[in-house]
Amino acid sequence: MVEFGGWDMPIQYTSVLEEHRACRTAAAVFDVSHLGSLRVQGPGSHARLQAALTNDLDRIAPGRAQYTHLCDPDDGHVVDDIIVWWLDADDYLVMPNASNTDRIAEALGAGAGAAVEGRAGSVVDVTATRVVLAVQGPQARARLEPVLPAAAAVPRFGVAPVTFGAVEGYAAGTGYTGEDGVELHVPAAGARAVWDAVLAAGIVPAGLGCRDTLRLEAGLPLHGHELGPGITPLQAGLAWVVRFDKGDFRGRDVLLAERERGVARRLVGIATEGRQPARQGSAVLVDGTAVGEVTSGNFSPMLGHGIALALVPPQVAVGAAVGIDVRGRTLAGEVVTLPFWSR
Amino acid sequence: MDYPEHLKYSSEHEWVAVDGTRARIGITDYAQDALGDVVFVSLPAVGTPVVAHASCAEVESTKSVSEIYAPVSGEVVEVNAALETAPEQVNADPYGDGWIFVVELRDPAELDALMDASAYRTMVEEA
Repeated sequence: MVEFGGWDMPIQYTSVLEEHRACRTAAAVFDVSHLGSLRVQGPGSHARLQAALTNDLDRIAPGRAQYTHLCDPDDGHVVDDIIVWWLDADDYLVMPNASNTDRIAEALGAGAGAAVEGRAGSVVDVTATRVVLAVQGPQARARLEPVLPAAAAVPRFGVAPVTFGAVEGYAAGTGYTGEDGVELHVPAAGARAVWDAVLAAGIVPAGLGCRDTLRLEAGLPLHGHELGPGITPLQAGLAWVVRFDKGDFRGRDVLLAERERGVARRLVGIATEGRQPARQGSAVLVDGTAVGEVTSGNFSPMLGHGIALALVPPQVAVGAAVGIDVRGRTLAGEVVTLPFWSR
Repeated sequence: MDYPEHLKYSSEHEWVAVDGTRARIGITDYAQDALGDVVFVSLPAVGTPVVAHASCAEVESTKSVSEIYAPVSGEVVEVNAALETAPEQVNADPYGDGWIFVVELRDPAELDALMDASAYRTMVEEA
């Protein structure tokens, strides 16, 4: 167990590699209760979210989920990446990362902002009242079907109410592994029964360790690595998350200026020779000169070699030969198309 | 956790199997468990001189990188090249197929500074 954003989290239940392979070949369940849950409800909720977040809710509808960012209004960096579950008209679950919940609540106008005219709705932190379980893998839906049929049937990026006995919650067709699967948002009081039933259905418990190797193989960003202070959505290769045409939102001006100017650096995937992992902070070399920095690196269990995400100048494009300096040893690498691995 | 009686142990979690003037070296069951799945071992080159308590190799897991400290001084005379393609042997069989390198001892008296199995067990269980 490790401390992570104020939560005690298991790195692994048995083995990172075993859990990784279970998720790629069958089904695994992650307790991701460390994500925050903000319930945004009431009149003005839609406008409140549209004004804060970069993606455009009008591209989806109630019963759908959307990946989005909250950016800094001054320099456009990604304060957090967030999944919004649109439960019903004027009813949303906004799910930021572990340590960012207070910051996001504040940006959405919880507290003092809630009294502002035209914002009669509420933003309430419900994190402590519920558990979030991510069931992921090619067999996730098939194994969930007998236990939670409504969850097994939820479409990709769909959101639906689910019940398990007297437990009432929500499921969304979302995840962070590059696999099909669903995430369950259930009241804490009933969560143990759901967890036990999920395990009894042949779904393997998996920890933070393989959550990281899975998301890295899938080329998905992690806050504090690929997103965070100094890194904008455009630099992270996530321009599709920023919808300039929807009207004003936090950070729009500075991001628009960056788009027009062109990004100074860009996130790329690098496949390295051999098994040795590059790590966050390792220098990326072109012709022996440092041009950028690794944001995440590890061994890819599915590919059998090292993989890394790195911020590099835009001219370092797919196919470019690069080196990565790992404690004085240079790993040979090549810029490759993301994701590193897909089904 | 398994700590075989016939081995000697360092406070940095290496084991040493003495055979005449040579010492076979690996990491302990405790160390492999703490590291998690080993995905890469950076082996010393044969012929490299090593000094007791100085770093001479690295073991990387999905979680982190750890240095291997030479428990004794001498010259590397053999390395476990099988770990280049099967580093998971360090987890599966830390005292057997997961051995890392062999040193020709320069000063066999250094062995006296190492722990026996019960002293090592006491150290890790009290940690």
